[in-house]
Amino acid sequence: MSARRRALATTGTGTTREVTIHIGGVHASREPVVVRTLLGSCISVCLWDPDRLVGGMNHFLLPSGEGGDPGRFGVHAMDRLIGAMMKLGADRRRVVAKVFGGAHVLDMVESDLGVPQRNIAFIREFLDNDGIPLVAEDVGGYQPRDVRFETGNGRVRMRRVGAARAQARLVRTERQATAAAPAFGTVELWN
Amino acid sequence: MPATILIADDSRTVRDMVRATLEADHHTVVEAADGREALAAAETQPADLVITDVNMPVMDGLALVRALRASPPYRFTPILVLTTEHGEDVKQQGRAAGASGWLVKPFDPECLRQAVRRVLTRVRA
Repeated sequence: MSARRRALATTGTGTTREVTIHIGGVHASREPVVVRTLLGSCISVCLWDPDRLVGGMNHFLLPSGEGGDPGRFGVHAMDRLIGAMMKLGADRRRVVAKVFGGAHVLDMVESDLGVPQRNIAFIREFLDNDGIPLVAEDVGGYQPRDVRFETGNGRVRMRRVGAARAQARLVRTERQATAAAPAFGTVELWN
Repeated sequence: MPATILIADDSRTVRDMVRATLEADHHTVVEAADGREALAAAETQPADLVITDVNMPVMDGLALVRALRASPPYRFTPILVLTTEHGEDVKQQGRAAGASGWLVKPFDPECLRQAVRRVLTRVRA
């Protein structure tokens, strides 16, 4: 998993761990943690089960495809996230979603055919198709987003990132991820 | 040769993807959203092959495999597990439960079709 962990500042109720995920990353927890990511054209979905207080976030690059870390593609990133949450006691019939990202950070004009709009369309369709309520979203535009998801209460704190340096780093990361080598899951037949 | 294939996955999106892959080989696909639905479907519409996810509500995939193996009509029916789970422990649990194979998502449509052909050929041989 591409999660990088580090200690976070002390909150009123104690120390909350922060977990940073990158493209292809998925993190779910039943302990209160802050899952953080930086988004350009990518999408992050924050899922939360308000009954079990289980939350999780993913970070995907494209709606679907046949290359690189499977978590880079929306359908698999969603499958992984939901699976990870269910293992922690969440019930997919109860989870609600908050969606962020899909910004045009690659110096291009917003277009329905571009990656950001396709990502946005994909996740709206996926959630609708799978019956997961979309309770909040902040998508599109031209600025990257820094997203912090508090898994203990389902709250998301998001800020837009304007610095040219951060944007350049994101563009580089997303381009490298797009060019990664293919990798499908394994197949084993036993008898 | 076309077969009737029961797929159990709690994601409609994933079921749509699997269905499209299998229908390309002219198989008849029956869908279920969890293990219990799959068991009910297996009783009413006999399947030549079952493909199941692991993490599903109500009844998970491994419980489904065990329940099917306990049912005489499905004692020798191939059952493939198609899941994001890739740990050796859970894989061995699947094998012990009676699964015929383990495919880790994301699946290459061609690899899934080949695996289906192979298990169907074996059972028909």
